Amino acid sequence: MLNYIWISLIAIGILVAVGNDVRDEAQNTYRNGVPFEASIVIQKSPTPLRQTWEGDLVLTAEAFNSFYGITSATSEVRQPVVISVAPSGELSIAMPIGPATPDRWKDMAKAAANREKLTGVVQSIAVAGDQQTARVRIVLEPIRFVKMKAVTQAALDYASTAVTIALGLIGIMALWLGVMKVAEEAGLLRIVTRMLTPVTKRLFPDIPTDHPAIAAMIMNMAANMLGLSNAATPMGLKAMEELNKLNPKVGTATNSMITFLVINTGGLILIPATAIAVRASAGSANPGIIIGTSIFGAACATVAGVIAAKLLQRLPRYRRDFEPEPGKEASNG
Amino acid sequence: MGDLFRTIINAISIMAIPLLLFVFLGWGIIKKVRVYEVFVEGAKDGFSTAVRIIPYLVAMLCAIGIFRASGALELLTSVLAPVTNLIGMPSETLPMAFMRPLSGSGSLGIMTELMKVHGPDSFIGVLASTMYGSSETTFYVLAIYFGSVQVKNTRHAVPAGLIADVFGMLGAVLICRILFGV
Repeated sequence: MLNYIWISLIAIGILVAVGNDVRDEAQNTYRNGVPFEASIVIQKSPTPLRQTWEGDLVLTAEAFNSFYGITSATSEVRQPVVISVAPSGELSIAMPIGPATPDRWKDMAKAAANREKLTGVVQSIAVAGDQQTARVRIVLEPIRFVKMKAVTQAALDYASTAVTIALGLIGIMALWLGVMKVAEEAGLLRIVTRMLTPVTKRLFPDIPTDHPAIAAMIMNMAANMLGLSNAATPMGLKAMEELNKLNPKVGTATNSMITFLVINTGGLILIPATAIAVRASAGSANPGIIIGTSIFGAACATVAGVIAAKLLQRLPRYRRDFEPEPGKEASNG
Repeated sequence: MGDLFRTIINAISIMAIPLLLFVFLGWGIIKKVRVYEVFVEGAKDGFSTAVRIIPYLVAMLCAIGIFRASGALELLTSVLAPVTNLIGMPSETLPMAFMRPLSGSGSLGIMTELMKVHGPDSFIGVLASTMYGSSETTFYVLAIYFGSVQVKNTRHAVPAGLIADVFGMLGAVLICRILFGV
């Protein structure tokens, strides 16, 4: 099944991106080649040495919205710009992307020739008598294939993110694997395990009750509940490694592995610290109000997941994976 | 009551790691384990485990990245909005429900955005943060856990994980409607 989900994510992503780009092209969402008028509040006028105007481009929210046919701009646009004069007398404009840039222009810049700024041609400029303001008529550079470019960028970015995440695990993995090894040699894990045998026997009937995998899984779950994800992941991986030692068919997930994984993805956590922090910073009167509701939600997820795993493992198509049947390839699912 | 619970859990969370290190290594000394050597022996595997995960994580995150960047989520939301309205789930929180199993940073972004727009104490704000707390990033966990032991045939892990996610999201909607219902 993972095969299908994986290819669906990629295929749907690319098809939707193409569809969005075709639609943008047909509707001219980015108003390629269409001029618009705006005022410029001039801060620096050209001098004989420097043939540029610098200032803020000012456009009302209504004008911006109606030009692009959107409703997202809520406040007046004030965008720093530089207008420069080429030797041929042609005027060009550059808008560096910054915090003041409206979202639409930020999106457009992502697909622009230079991702840091949007450029365009100034068709006309009329400077007011006091040299303080000017009216300009601008055509921005054509923006095309926004989503396709975003998809390309995402694929490359995420590939390196994956490596960054994995490499970031090395240190904490080493720390916890070392500690766990000491605990194992000292026989401490067996003590932890014995206390919870009644529970683990039911959840993981295939695993001998004093196997190190049980201890690692218990510690992983405890760390998860306390929100110590830095400790939980190494312990979880250690548990997987131990579970894999009991795996008759390496490369195929065992029932216990899947049950364990589902308990992990259920994400039962006593204090959802991240969500609380975001609520607090958003100015909530009671950031902790979601503790109870989150525990309820996660408990639903965990219980449903474990039941689903236990029921699904009885299906013939999943049992078949562990039956010796030469000549028949196990289906990847 | 709620505050007391929170204080206790917070205290446990803060003390857990130092205490665990102390007890585990201390117990080792008592049991005459050569702690330093054994620690280093165990820690050796840290590097190889982390490196083993890389191909699995690259495959998973690239697919998720492409999906996120394409705008497919917006499309999915608009298609499914009428269905979720039936169960009293505001369609604004649908992207959250889809993103939660796919990407931790993505769902964090959506949650933050929803709170900014609707307010953290609005029904949508509370529901979004409950949803965030109600599940883990299924596909990420799947990639690194199975990646570390080179499991390629995941059997029923994905359906079971997704069933867990669906029930987590439904549970969040249910409890929020009961407690903070609109």
